[in-house]
Amino acid sequence: MRSSVSPAPARFTDLGIRIAGVCTVLAVFELTARTGLLPRAWFPPISEMYLELGKLAFGWPLWVEIGRTLSGWALGIGLAAVLAIPLGIALGTNNLAYRLSKAVIEFLRPVPSVALIPLAVLVYGTGLEMKTFLIAFATFWPILLQTIYGVQGVDPVAMDTARCYGLPQSARFTQIIAPSAAPFIATGLRIASAIALVLAITAELVVGAPGLGQAIIVAQSGANATRMYALIIVAGLLGWALNSCFQFVERRLLRWHPAQRGEEGR
Amino acid sequence: MLDVSQLRKVYGPDPNAPPAVADLSFTVAEQEFVCILGSSGCGKSTMLRCLSGLDSPTAGEVRLRDRRVTKPPEEMAFVFQDYSRSLLPWMKVRRNVSFPLRYKGVGNRAADDATEEALDAVGLAGKGDLYPWQLSGGMQQRVAIARALAYKPRVLLMDEPFASVDAQTRTGLEDLLLDVWQRYEITVLFVTHDIDEAIYLADRVLVLRAPAQIRHSTTVPLARPRDQLTTKQQPEFGQLRAELFNALDAQPAPA
Repeated sequence: MRSSVSPAPARFTDLGIRIAGVCTVLAVFELTARTGLLPRAWFPPISEMYLELGKLAFGWPLWVEIGRTLSGWALGIGLAAVLAIPLGIALGTNNLAYRLSKAVIEFLRPVPSVALIPLAVLVYGTGLEMKTFLIAFATFWPILLQTIYGVQGVDPVAMDTARCYGLPQSARFTQIIAPSAAPFIATGLRIASAIALVLAITAELVVGAPGLGQAIIVAQSGANATRMYALIIVAGLLGWALNSCFQFVERRLLRWHPAQRGEEGR
Repeated sequence: MLDVSQLRKVYGPDPNAPPAVADLSFTVAEQEFVCILGSSGCGKSTMLRCLSGLDSPTAGEVRLRDRRVTKPPEEMAFVFQDYSRSLLPWMKVRRNVSFPLRYKGVGNRAADDATEEALDAVGLAGKGDLYPWQLSGGMQQRVAIARALAYKPRVLLMDEPFASVDAQTRTGLEDLLLDVWQRYEITVLFVTHDIDEAIYLADRVLVLRAPAQIRHSTTVPLARPRDQLTTKQQPEFGQLRAELFNALDAQPAPA
């Protein structure tokens, strides 16, 4: 078994290059703002943005806003997953049902979710329910399709093996179909997570539902550019953190999958 | 113990379409090692699928110990050519071997014992905690053989099991198979397209032509235990090779 960790010096050099890249970009932004190359009122120095971010992080309100954004995110994805995964399994195992529903799916899936904002506001108002509905609608499709593909992609030799060894239907599902489809569903959920965050913040910006998006609008209308940028950075960090969480869980649970094996197996 | 009579298999809804298996009949005796030899496309795999109960024949029947095979029987185990797809990558080696036993109604203790015994028999003791993809191709096929052995079948069906490993590994696997065949006192039906492999392993070789029908049948008089060097140097080995070569060669090439 080979190790997937490269020798220490190479690793440090790589890390050093990455840090140098980030520092250069930050320094350029800082200089352009400080020298007045960019108008100071709209482009404050990056150091001030992070100072503001630091101040915000020590106060309670920022965390309340993050919590509001995340609760819409979580409820929406949760609802979508609860509906889409069982339906995807049903459609993936039944070819007739899949063919019957294909046209409907292909018609509904490309509808841009933001186009549904007026409808959602009309039906659910401007709060959490509206956000949850939008996110659930938008993330339902990637989770559904990934589940269908995962179930349809089960290796026929693996299924034959299960049949030869007398596994009953239920065991074929838990032992073969579910683990084969898991990497596809995990990818669907990770895509859904990114879409859900975009929609949560969009809904907050456009409709004024409470959350990070609304806080950005408030900072903007108060002409507090530094705070606005700090909040944008928070939104970026949030997306990055969510994606990292999904990747971490995938790496742990799907260690066996070729995409996660590294150099350990071929 | 295994009786195949008038087996016929046509794919698709049209019963007059050209069959993949046509009126195939043969029997295999208790603890016999039978090799089925045929070039690719002659219907070997279809035949095995009907024998194992994975597919149902269009006509005729397969009986295992006087019971008609309609679904995969408990007394039968199957080793596929494509070990990397037959082993489940999310299960470690030990679970790959043991998972079928739970559904056969084997107790946990007995299942654990059968698993360790089978892994030991194929020379993989101590590898149970690895994943199959961490092993070489030959070792993976040994895991698949261990799974079949732990299932304690009366008859083992093997579909070109050594076709995708290198020649060196292959001779090792052949000797391993002969060893466990005698130790576990099982019947083996082994499908291959390799003449030397068929002679080296079998008590009896059946030559199939397309659509799967017996063209030629011959018993192998070579003494056991067999040896990769001395057995293959015997004059009978050469004669059998010529006989089977002609039997295979005489058939028209598949389209």
